Amino acid sequence: MTQSQFTRQELLRRGLAGSALLTVPGLLAACGGSGSKSAATSTGAKQQLAKTLHFSNWTLYIDVNNKTKAHPSLQEFQQKYGTHVDYVEDINDNASYFGKIQGALSRGQSIGRDIVVLTDNDRYLSLMIKKGWAEKLDKSAIPNIKNLVEVQRHPTFDPNREYSLPWQSGMTGIAYNDTLTGPVLSVTDLLENSKLKGKVTVLNSMGDALTLVMLANGDDPTKVTDKSFNAAFNRIKKAVDSKQIRQFTGNDYAPSLAKGDLAAAMSWSGDIAQIGNSHIHWSVPKDGGALWTDNMLIPKGGNVYTASVYMNYVYDPAVAGLMEAGDPKKNITGIYYIPPVIGAKQAALKLNPSVANNQLIFPSAKTLSRVHLFDSAALNNQKYLTQWQNLISG
Amino acid sequence: MTTLAVPARARARGAANVWAFVRRHVLAFYAALFFLYLLLPIGVVIVFSFNQPVGKFNYTWHEFTFDNWRYWNGVPGIQSAITLSLEIAALASVIATALGTLIALALVRYGFRGRGVTNLLIFLPLSTPEIVMGASLLTLFLNLNFVFGFWTILIAHVMFCISFAVVSVKARLIGFDRHLEEAAMDLGANEWVTFQKVTLPLIAPAILAALLLCFAVSVDDFVVTYFNSGSEVTFPLFVWGAARIGAPPQVNVIGSAIFIIALTAMLLNVAVQTRRTKGAVTE
Amino acid sequence: MKWFHRHRGLMPYVMLAPGLAFLAVFFLVPLGFLAYQSLESGNIDFGYAFTWSWGNYGSAFTDYRPEFVRSIEYAGIATILALVLSYPVAYWIAFRGGRWKNLLLLMIVAPFFVTYLIRTLAWETILSDNGVVVRILQHLHLVSPGGHVLATGTAVIAGITYNFLPFMALPLYVSLEQIDHRLIEAAEDLYASSWKAFLKVTVPLSLPGVVAGTLLTFIPAAGDFINAQLLGAPQNHMIGNVIQSKFLELTDYPAAAAMSFILMGAIIVAVAAYARAVGTEQLSGTAV
Repeated sequence: MTQSQFTRQELLRRGLAGSALLTVPGLLAACGGSGSKSAATSTGAKQQLAKTLHFSNWTLYIDVNNKTKAHPSLQEFQQKYGTHVDYVEDINDNASYFGKIQGALSRGQSIGRDIVVLTDNDRYLSLMIKKGWAEKLDKSAIPNIKNLVEVQRHPTFDPNREYSLPWQSGMTGIAYNDTLTGPVLSVTDLLENSKLKGKVTVLNSMGDALTLVMLANGDDPTKVTDKSFNAAFNRIKKAVDSKQIRQFTGNDYAPSLAKGDLAAAMSWSGDIAQIGNSHIHWSVPKDGGALWTDNMLIPKGGNVYTASVYMNYVYDPAVAGLMEAGDPKKNITGIYYIPPVIGAKQAALKLNPSVANNQLIFPSAKTLSRVHLFDSAALNNQKYLTQWQNLISG
Repeated sequence: MTTLAVPARARARGAANVWAFVRRHVLAFYAALFFLYLLLPIGVVIVFSFNQPVGKFNYTWHEFTFDNWRYWNGVPGIQSAITLSLEIAALASVIATALGTLIALALVRYGFRGRGVTNLLIFLPLSTPEIVMGASLLTLFLNLNFVFGFWTILIAHVMFCISFAVVSVKARLIGFDRHLEEAAMDLGANEWVTFQKVTLPLIAPAILAALLLCFAVSVDDFVVTYFNSGSEVTFPLFVWGAARIGAPPQVNVIGSAIFIIALTAMLLNVAVQTRRTKGAVTE
Repeated sequence: MKWFHRHRGLMPYVMLAPGLAFLAVFFLVPLGFLAYQSLESGNIDFGYAFTWSWGNYGSAFTDYRPEFVRSIEYAGIATILALVLSYPVAYWIAFRGGRWKNLLLLMIVAPFFVTYLIRTLAWETILSDNGVVVRILQHLHLVSPGGHVLATGTAVIAGITYNFLPFMALPLYVSLEQIDHRLIEAAEDLYASSWKAFLKVTVPLSLPGVVAGTLLTFIPAAGDFINAQLLGAPQNHMIGNVIQSKFLELTDYPAAAAMSFILMGAIIVAVAAYARAVGTEQLSGTAV
């Protein structure tokens, strides 16, 4: 019975940690650590790299070797710095991830993560910073911050980039499966073409969905008014009631689109590039699409120094180029979104020219002029949020 | 109802026999269809664990391969998820069965005041929707500043397993003979010795059954865990996340493996029981 | 030990204490916390405060009436379906199973050995728009050409029925199995028709199983959100989906707690009514 022995040891180990946690929650809250993980964050180890970096990210959001399923950039990081990256793809949408971690954070407990990634067109990124649940970056460990593209340097939620750094940007548009439908290039088609009834999905992120519909309505998504909100909201609601819209999704539209359950989907540029299915096409809708940026944050209790060193590493243009474009010779697939790192394109050109020249991944100024960032005030409007949530969950 | 003594009559009536024959076979045919329906998804799960999908999504059959089984842990996160699930299930089933067996023994062996309340407290968790249990534990843990993770999952699993353990042990103790224990005590054995030498061997199969049931319920739990896991990921939670981007065939591999192992354990259990009852009859 | 000898009356309480204490602390007390939370007001930005805000219940009920109604409706239909589907099989195993009884029972619970989510995902594959099942249904004109089964109420009900079927079949089997065969033979003599004998004797005697099976199926079905999430469209979402999203996504704890309580309350009323009718011992006795 090796099992029972193992269990006993485990029980003992967890028991010690656990009883400490149960008996002194206040103390723990005071020092902002949690059990075994607090060792890594204690002040003595400040300028020393932790053995493990705990990194929560979205699904399909890093370079991957198709054969071994390993992540080459993370392996290289380990070789270079000796820190293993515990990479978990457990973020499916901002709201439910925030819901999952806010309980611990609001009590000053660590969530056991050193880096998490949240999106700027949802309210939770700014909420994390506003509530003081993000650690300040150790900029002395991030000299490569000089490679951050100009447009990303002073966002409203973090004007001096003290807490966050972009991971990737992306565009929201429409994808369709050409075995089931002709080209779907506009929101009107997506929401009102009866041939697509029950075969389309819309994103459950309010910023994404409303930006596209407002543009189609001729309204400005960067300055939302009650009138433009209602117009866009009602247009989507009508499509729900008529059963045109099959579901609201995070990135779970991808398998359904490939499988043929969906003919078209409001979707994110990089996901479609990653699917690698020649029948699935993506474009910025006729009236324009959405632009958003996912940002790395160090949640309270995370290891600031190790996380900062990692951020510095991914802001190295050579690393950013590999992560973005992959390397067909080594069977590595990249992220295929939009990197925020100056010089990534040059690095990518050497590895994978077709990706480096792809308008979706390294978009031209013209493409970028057609995509818009959703009004951040509207993102925090409780009335809008409740209305939206009720629409998508019932 | 067994007190109603009804003499068995062997009066055969032709028409009834024909009807019985038809009914018997219609039922058997229906039962076959029913089992087909019941087992179809399981078949799909197992078949697709041997699929070599084209591209990322394991939905259409492409090519037979053993690779998914060989590299069952090739998908990042799957191994730690299944390890956590097994740890939790092992601990939760042992603790819940211990607590549940004591309750079941007390209910079967003794008459005492408060039986009704006890039965109600055992039955309530069984009749509470999982989402309410998960949500209420979440509010408890939030309000008491618990750190979400291993311990909150374990507590939750022990909580909903106890009732299963009680009911399962109790069901097998109904025919339990108090006289054997009394005889042992008359012979001078104290309570503890009696328990060790007489009671425990008698109830061992019941305990084993409860352990298996709790283990199965714990490994499978999604809802309560989803509410109380913090950033830990059990296997069902892993499947939930993976489903959004197209679950890899390795998910089917683990699913099939759990199924096969559980089925084997249960088959053994059934075989042992059958032998036992046979033995009892021939004695 | 000597002390126990002298106080044998205490023994059952000593044995009950640890388990019941655990249930009290981690089942009953949390329900208390949930009740407390359901009367709070506020939001995640500014925190929550206890204000006896009974309005949470009112607005939960008025804002989400369709979801409540749909939960009851779907769970009810699924329960009836499960009963109709599994009664003949439970009967067949109980009366004709012979030495295969245990094996057949094992087959009934077999789906439980496959992770709940995985078997629901398997249904997603089986019912896929381009799959065999949907094509056959289209040929039979049960589904319109180009129509789909996934993302409809039918798929959600079918998923719920499948997932909770063993909860129905097992108690049915237990109560059918306990029926004395001689009673049925006598009834067949009396009514001269085995069908009539079945209706007059077998069915009434199996009622405890029907009651237990109905409860055990209906309760988890009413609170389920996985089937609606994976197999349904937004129009098919149930109260579980709303509770889940209010708790874990919107972090609107008071509203979510109030909704949980309405769901719980409805179920407690139902269970209490059943408990009065059949007795708690009977209820938990037939549960497995």
